[in-house]
Amino acid sequence: MPLAKPAIMPTVFYRDPVAALRWLEEAFGFETTSRVTDADGRVGYSEMTYLGCAISVGGEWSGPQLGGGSLKSPASLHGAGTQFIWIELPEGLDAHCERARAAGARIPDEPSEQFYGARTYRALDPEGHVWNFRQWTREVPLTEQEAATGLKFATSLEI
Amino acid sequence: MSDPAKAAVMPGLSYADPVAAYRWLQSAFGFEPLTLITEPDGALIHAEVGYRGCAINISKRRWPDQAPPSDVGGRNTQSLHVQLSQDVDAHFARATAAGAEVLMAPQDQPYGDRNYMVKDLEGHVWSFAQTVQPMTDAEYAARTGAKVEGLSPKEN
Repeated sequence: MPLAKPAIMPTVFYRDPVAALRWLEEAFGFETTSRVTDADGRVGYSEMTYLGCAISVGGEWSGPQLGGGSLKSPASLHGAGTQFIWIELPEGLDAHCERARAAGARIPDEPSEQFYGARTYRALDPEGHVWNFRQWTREVPLTEQEAATGLKFATSLEI
Repeated sequence: MSDPAKAAVMPGLSYADPVAAYRWLQSAFGFEPLTLITEPDGALIHAEVGYRGCAINISKRRWPDQAPPSDVGGRNTQSLHVQLSQDVDAHFARATAAGAEVLMAPQDQPYGDRNYMVKDLEGHVWSFAQTVQPMTDAEYAARTGAKVEGLSPKEN
């Protein structure tokens, strides 16, 4: 039984949400846990979990219920996306990437080590949503990260 | 090594002015500041704000295929849902007072939540909800005529 829903959950919009559910299962190992289907058999809403995390998947929509909102797949916006997703893997990042690639994911950023002590890769699903996977590999002190990058890591969260 | 206060799924949002977004998401939605990384001149590289153990990532256009909604005619390719622990109407009043654009004022839904939808300062779509009447899948299906699988609240 999945856990209670998290406080913040992203919904990812697809032209073909049924195909997306299948693809996310095959490529990333997600599990479909909820599905609401209308009388015509169309999936209106669904939820997936992965390692205790949850996302929801929906079809494109707009209309009076949504005021002036319009929710579209990147496939309908020349590949542009307004959000992206990070997912932390406890282990096996390279194997996860190979599974995704075998399922047809595009991999614009291959698995590589990051200055902040993680190994990451970035995948695009068939409709162009960006999925970033991250596995922590070592603890890097902030002073070392600042020296490596020239960035400033705020100790105060005021700006 | 990862911060246990952060969820293992973190949505990221692209903003034309991420510094303004970092401030606005705190004042309008009541999110907590978690992480702030800037260039020496103050330009924001990466920030995180959170609510009830979850985090979201705020950034400027992070990759060439990422765009704030204003660059794609106001459309969104993902949206965020936030489940509040209490008082969705007070949350709505605070958000709209801060300038959130109303897509749907708070209303009771057939699945037992009361929710509202707004656009934030750059047009990202957010939904906020409070469960007012916990409901089983069968009850939701009976109300709407939809086929409902696995949606009722889960036990911890």
